[in-house]
Amino acid sequence: MRITRREFLKISSAAIATLPVLGFDLTPAMAQIGEFRIKNVKPVPTICPYCGCGCGLVVYAADGKVIATEGDPDHPINQGSTCAKGAALYQIYDNPRRMRKPLYRAPYSDHWEEKDWGWVLDRIVEKIKATRDKNFITKETVKVKDEKTGVESDVEINVNRTEAIATLGGAALDNEECYLYTKLARTLGVVYVEHQARL
Amino acid sequence: MAKGYLVDTTKCIGCRGCVVACKNWNQLPAEPTGFKGTYQTVADFSGNTFTYIGFNEYEENGQLKWYFTKRQCMHCLDPACMKVCPQKAISIVDGAVVRDYGKCAGCQYCASACPFHVPRYNTKINKETKCSMCAERVAEGMLPACVKACVTGALQFGERDELLAIAKERVNALKAEYPNARVYGENDAGGTSVLYVLADVPSKYGLPENPQVSALTTAWQKYVKPYGPWLIALTAAGSILSFFSTRLLKVGQRAHEEESLHG
Repeated sequence: MRITRREFLKISSAAIATLPVLGFDLTPAMAQIGEFRIKNVKPVPTICPYCGCGCGLVVYAADGKVIATEGDPDHPINQGSTCAKGAALYQIYDNPRRMRKPLYRAPYSDHWEEKDWGWVLDRIVEKIKATRDKNFITKETVKVKDEKTGVESDVEINVNRTEAIATLGGAALDNEECYLYTKLARTLGVVYVEHQARL
Repeated sequence: MAKGYLVDTTKCIGCRGCVVACKNWNQLPAEPTGFKGTYQTVADFSGNTFTYIGFNEYEENGQLKWYFTKRQCMHCLDPACMKVCPQKAISIVDGAVVRDYGKCAGCQYCASACPFHVPRYNTKINKETKCSMCAERVAEGMLPACVKACVTGALQFGERDELLAIAKERVNALKAEYPNARVYGENDAGGTSVLYVLADVPSKYGLPENPQVSALTTAWQKYVKPYGPWLIALTAAGSILSFFSTRLLKVGQRAHEEESLHG
């Protein structure tokens, strides 16, 4: 049997036309359940910023926007679970009350001013430098007891510290950030190194 | 077999992680809450709240006792909402009673039919909303948001048959300490995909003791709806009949009037 071009087109178009009639329409099955919005989005691990437990969370982000956040199932601490605060991590990202610029309140001022990061960081460095220089203790005299004779004597030792500055870390910091933070504090001679986590 | 949840209320600590995880995944806005003399913050379902933890407080032997219960759609095996929906927007997908928001017209018929009073009206989208057992997550092999968030393992997800066996085992273990312990949802409301392990009677947990689809809904579905089209046909027949009868009457009257005039 020979089929001309015209006949072939006729048959194939007729076959295509019957498809929807025969029930190949998949739209109802698809529409039943909602769209899976984190499909093919790679989760990025992070640490919960709230309490000291340090639960693992994953962030699903695409095109520079956070789509969803949830517990990290591979994290040994929480194994995917989250408390009410950790579950609300998305709110940090998508929040009208989120701080987007550093705010500065001058001494004795009654209002906050918006400042850029450069100014703020310079100001912090300036203050740290001034405070450290003003209150730096290089040497301290301590009493040392001679174990044999039992005589106490004053000995001067090098301390190189400042007691005017304190640092406070947070649970949002991971191990490496905490290391760097402590290193900075020690380099400055800060002895009051604190952290909110109680593990 | 179909999927289901198991809510082991004896393991729940009321942290509300599931509640927030649900809001987070379903992208539902927070709603203002107030102090109402109890630790319970979310008082009830709403168009933006698919699940909440009931803090049922009782004083027993001079001590405060909490009967926590995570409430959400029960995902009935034979859902009344699905039967009554005029838009056929509700269907069962692997044990989950899901609704197609594209089809839902917001008539709120499902809300009145539900024996657990779960569906609520969302005024923003003008549709009835409720928990979907995270069907889109389950279809991709993930756990529902609330189950994944649960810290204590009070929420479990899996095949309903297996969960029922786990629940019964748990109840047997609880019986020694809690004589009223029971599984809720095995046969209640014709069986539900959401199973509860309760340490006491359901009413203490704010759950209906004997969930029933209202008699009015049943009567409507059973007797009125199937014969509804007949009513339309009857009405049409009646109006045709009245059209002709009034015409005949008028013709007769006119003839009578004419007769009296000439006569």
